[in-house]
Amino acid sequence: MNGVLPNGFESWLSAAPERPAGVGPDWLDDQRRVAQEQVRAQSVPTSKTEDWRYTSLKGLLEQGFAQVDESITALQPDDLEEILIPGLDSHRVVLVNGRYAPELSVLGDLPKGVRLGGLRALLDADPDALRERLNRIAGDRQPLFLALNTAGLDDGFVALFDRAVMLERPIELIHLSVGMDEPRVAQPRHLIVLGDGAQATLIERYVSLGESLYCTNSVLEISLGRDAVLQHDRIQMESANAFHLTGLYLSQDANSRYRGVNIGLGARWARTELVTRFRGEQAECDLQGLYLAGDRQLMDYHLDVAHSVPRCTSRENFKGILYGKGRAVFDGLVSVARDAQKSDAAMSNRNLMLSESAEVDTKPQLEINADDVKCSHGTTVGRIEPEMLFYLRSRGISAPLARRMLCLGFAGEIIQTLSAEALREHVSEQVGQRLESAPLN
Amino acid sequence: MLAVKGLRANVGGKEILRGLDFSVGPGEVHAIMGPNGSGKSTFAHVLSGREGYEVTAGSATFEGQDLLTLEPEERAQLGLFLAFQYPVELPGVNNTYFLKAALNSILKARGEPELDAVSFLRLIKEKLKILHLDDSLLKRAVNAGFSGGEKKRNEIFQMALLEPKLAILDETDSGLDIDALRVVADGVNALRSPERSMIVVTHYQRLLDYIQPDVVHVLSKGRIIRSGGKELALELEEKGYGWIDAEGQAA
Ligand SMILES: Nc1ncnc2c1ncn2[C@@H]1O[C@H](COP(=O)(O)OP(=O)(O)O)[C@@H](O)[C@H]1O
Ligand SMILES: [Mg+2]
Repeated sequence: MNGVLPNGFESWLSAAPERPAGVGPDWLDDQRRVAQEQVRAQSVPTSKTEDWRYTSLKGLLEQGFAQVDESITALQPDDLEEILIPGLDSHRVVLVNGRYAPELSVLGDLPKGVRLGGLRALLDADPDALRERLNRIAGDRQPLFLALNTAGLDDGFVALFDRAVMLERPIELIHLSVGMDEPRVAQPRHLIVLGDGAQATLIERYVSLGESLYCTNSVLEISLGRDAVLQHDRIQMESANAFHLTGLYLSQDANSRYRGVNIGLGARWARTELVTRFRGEQAECDLQGLYLAGDRQLMDYHLDVAHSVPRCTSRENFKGILYGKGRAVFDGLVSVARDAQKSDAAMSNRNLMLSESAEVDTKPQLEINADDVKCSHGTTVGRIEPEMLFYLRSRGISAPLARRMLCLGFAGEIIQTLSAEALREHVSEQVGQRLESAPLN
Repeated sequence: MLAVKGLRANVGGKEILRGLDFSVGPGEVHAIMGPNGSGKSTFAHVLSGREGYEVTAGSATFEGQDLLTLEPEERAQLGLFLAFQYPVELPGVNNTYFLKAALNSILKARGEPELDAVSFLRLIKEKLKILHLDDSLLKRAVNAGFSGGEKKRNEIFQMALLEPKLAILDETDSGLDIDALRVVADGVNALRSPERSMIVVTHYQRLLDYIQPDVVHVLSKGRIIRSGGKELALELEEKGYGWIDAEGQAA
């Protein structure tokens, strides 16, 4: 990995000493090289770059993040205590700073036809299983952070389901970040492939030990075969000092169903890109989102849902609670191709502002090129209704608790789409805690 | 229990209450009647501490305490309760959670132990029966999508649960059919006690057939212009508010 990158991201790709380029299958090394060139060919997005108009990379670049170059091996299963969700029974895969940690993972009994675990481990054991699957969905011309992830592609999470396999308990992917002396960036690559008719629930969590400074640049590739069903709960609770990037690339065959619930509570700066491509008719994609942006926190969402074939349904329903000097960006694009008749899409972004100094830039867009479609979008930016607050207070409930109850009521619509009661409780509690310490102005 | 003297209040810069005198003793039930727009709800809101109602003169004391300087929740914690004319919908706020938060806030403020989940549930099931309300109500969001009648019954249900010392029922009868009216009235009557006072605000005397008041007041243009026994309500019904207004003007 030589050659200087002209855009400030050199250190993200400085060679990992344990795994010099060339280790692993040739095809993967070729892909890394192509991605590196793509990184090199791009300049750093600025406020003039349409996708980055409201989101500055300055703070991120100033940190001088360098690639994680050592594995954390000192962690014991006990260290996970504070992170596990009581009552959540799962097949658990743990990554630490982007690397699979088998000693912390509890895969449990898996039916035949399910492969679960670390990406690197599978690359070493059976590279051919991944050759036609890895780095497929994301496409050829990769945007900067995807290209960076691909150029450094090394480890991550993998779940492969053969056709018609069903898993009853959820899979829980815990991405744990542990602070290092120097600010580090981890770039995990996750691959989820469901064969025709397979069904699964995936709970994906980003957590940290302590409030350290680090960056996560994760990429997920998800491919759903015909009739496959995936419920995907995503809970971003990074350290309050962290930077977080996620690119989720979803490909759906005919009649498949995907529901993603995106909960964003942590990190000081977080950007999530959700990209959906329908490959067959009558597929359904339901994207739900809840974000809290507190003081000096940025939550940035970009949705790109392309109805390129007829008769698919998509829902984009994002809600935000902003307080202090919190900022959020919602940039949602739903496009319908000329032949994609009977497309059905509804996009909504609603924001509850608890302070004067919070700010949200919301930009839902529909690009419709077919005539027989049902598409809608709506956006609101509002405050707590005084009569609601008065009603609660007139019942003896203090103003701060009443505000929290109303915020949780607002958030509840999204929280209830999470797959498990234990998870819903966990998220409600976390939202409540954050609001409790939120300044009221 | 409640003593209001010379109360004047503005809403949106306009004077609505114009020197209101009114007092209620322990265990008494007072009816306030008056034409639309006479200030009945404004009076109820001023007593409960709603923002945006500017008191310019007069006083209101509750068991000797100055009500007007207290926050709405503090008034509720002292034992004041307002059954809203238009109960507010709280989408996403679970009814059980709401009721528990309300009851425990009040108990806590009084230095009494909060109820645990089991005894709380037992208590609300008991109160639900009194108002002929279905259990399923507990799982729903507060007032969200409730019918008019359900909303009014939910108000009285909350009153039954919170056991206030002074309850103000603001047109709890409006929009109820005769059966619902009877249920609500039975609920209210079940709560009558020598320690609990009530102010029943109504536009029609119909409700007073079910809830017998000790005193009836007539409110017109922000002032009590007439007080009397039950027969005053019947007289009003017969002669209409025009009669009172004419007298009010003359007074
Ligand atoms: N929020 C408000 N802003 C301005 N005027 C109001 C407001 N609320 C009530 N009013 C006015 O105050 C007067 C009394 O209203 P209200 O107390 O609701 O009467 P009632 O309950 O007796 O029908 C009416 O003229 C009404 O228009
Ligand atoms: Mg009224």
